[in-house]
Amino acid sequence: MLEATWRALHGAVCTTLSSVGVYGYYLRDIVRSARETDTWPRETIRQMRVIGVESVILTIIVAAFLGGVTAFQTRFQLFPGVQVSAVGLISRQSIVLELGPLLTALVLTGRVGARMTAEIGTMRVTEQIDALETLAYDPVAFLSLPRLLAALVMLPALTMLANTAALVSAWLTLIFATDVRTIDYVEGLRIAFTPFQVVYSLIKATCFGGAIAFVCSYQGYIAKAGAEGVGQATAKAVVITSVAILTLDAIVAAIFAPFVQA
Amino acid sequence: MKRRDEVLVGLMLIFTVVVGIAGTVWLARGGLSSGYPMYALFPWGAGLKNGQPVLLAGVNIGFVSKVELVPNGTLLVTLAVNKEYQIPTGTTASVEPNGIFGDQLIALSPQLSVTTYMPERDTIPTGRGAATTGQVLSKADSVAAEVQTIVAAVRDEFVTDGGIAEIRRAIAELSALTSQLGTIAATQSRELTTTQQQLRSTLAAVDSSVVDSTLRAFRTSSANLAQLTSDLEKTRAQVSSILFKVDSGPGTAAKLLNDPAVYARVDSLLLRLDLLVADVKANPRRYINLRVF
Repeated sequence: MLEATWRALHGAVCTTLSSVGVYGYYLRDIVRSARETDTWPRETIRQMRVIGVESVILTIIVAAFLGGVTAFQTRFQLFPGVQVSAVGLISRQSIVLELGPLLTALVLTGRVGARMTAEIGTMRVTEQIDALETLAYDPVAFLSLPRLLAALVMLPALTMLANTAALVSAWLTLIFATDVRTIDYVEGLRIAFTPFQVVYSLIKATCFGGAIAFVCSYQGYIAKAGAEGVGQATAKAVVITSVAILTLDAIVAAIFAPFVQA
Repeated sequence: MKRRDEVLVGLMLIFTVVVGIAGTVWLARGGLSSGYPMYALFPWGAGLKNGQPVLLAGVNIGFVSKVELVPNGTLLVTLAVNKEYQIPTGTTASVEPNGIFGDQLIALSPQLSVTTYMPERDTIPTGRGAATTGQVLSKADSVAAEVQTIVAAVRDEFVTDGGIAEIRRAIAELSALTSQLGTIAATQSRELTTTQQQLRSTLAAVDSSVVDSTLRAFRTSSANLAQLTSDLEKTRAQVSSILFKVDSGPGTAAKLLNDPAVYARVDSLLLRLDLLVADVKANPRRYINLRVF
């Protein structure tokens, strides 16, 4: 019994360390592939369009609902006697510090990350990656590095748009659906604001973008043969990325939250 | 790669950067205009930082653009004031709490009916600021503690030690005393009324003609008395003159009163008279030789 438990524990630890190790190797390959400057720059621009430009509408829609609901609920959670401008303050802090980058990343995990894994996984199972290697193309430089760079750049941009859309949506919701006036909302937005709060939001978005591209491209890269293998890789990529995003969210908060205080 | 991708990505990134920077500046500075600088000095620990709003009589006119720590214990605060606003002469600056969340703002309090304005880059005098939320809460805590102490003392005095019962007894005794005083006052009032009525009847009974004759007789008596007094005064002067003369004059009376030699002779004379009378009594034949025939 004790021996079996020990073996199970040993196996789990080895599997975890092995997974971390292969991710490490994958990261090393990505860094090395940066030398292939004839390959990744052009593809990076295309991936920036796919990840960023094509996600703008979805991001704004999600952020608009997010901001509207946040402001609406905040208004009706205030107990009597609290200044109305608190709605602006609470909405801003909720959206900029947490909900904006987090929900944007989670939404893009489903839209961009799943697509990334499916694309690369399909290329893997149809041996297109092997063909690239045969043609002396570095598949990591062609498939992974551009997606990682594009995600690192476009996630902060999308998060900035999401924050803006959410705050505008919150304003519209408040002035049309509640008794909060524009001047109260704007005053609340400016209470205890520091520019580092925006930077903090972008730091989170950058980390989330890296996690999405890194995990999803790797899961596609190691997809097993067949349609089922691609499906499994996609599902696994979404789950791992989501957990990674939440974990990174906590880590970034633990590191930078003291500096966010006004 | 299509050129369209580059354009789209570039547009999106530029738009995002512009929105991000403009939005951040708009929130942090309270607007996008730079404004002109004004200065104010506050003590250390005023809780000031960049981006906090500047209000003139409650109107947002700018923001805090710089806070410098001066070693002498003050903060040199640079205010960026929007160009469409001017600060009247005599305005004072103070640090006020901005809501209940611990943020601060700078409140400029102008004087009424002032038509001159402070020049740019001038230093606004510092006024007395309002209490911060922490100070208010601290004061409220101390007030609550004092109230609690007072309530406890009142409870001890009035409830535990029977103060309320004593007050009730005192009120009852006071009520009885008030009732007694009311009775006394009613009695006194009746007696006063009676006395007043008697006085009125007495005054009504007095005959004015009798009073007039009495007064005339009294005046006559007074005149007579004055004359008598005058006569007495004259008599007293004459007597005084006589006595003066008797006392100090050269006459016989003065010598009789003042000269001891005269007194001695008179005394000696009386002595000899006594001896003579005694001798006459003892030997009447010596002096009286009565013969009938």
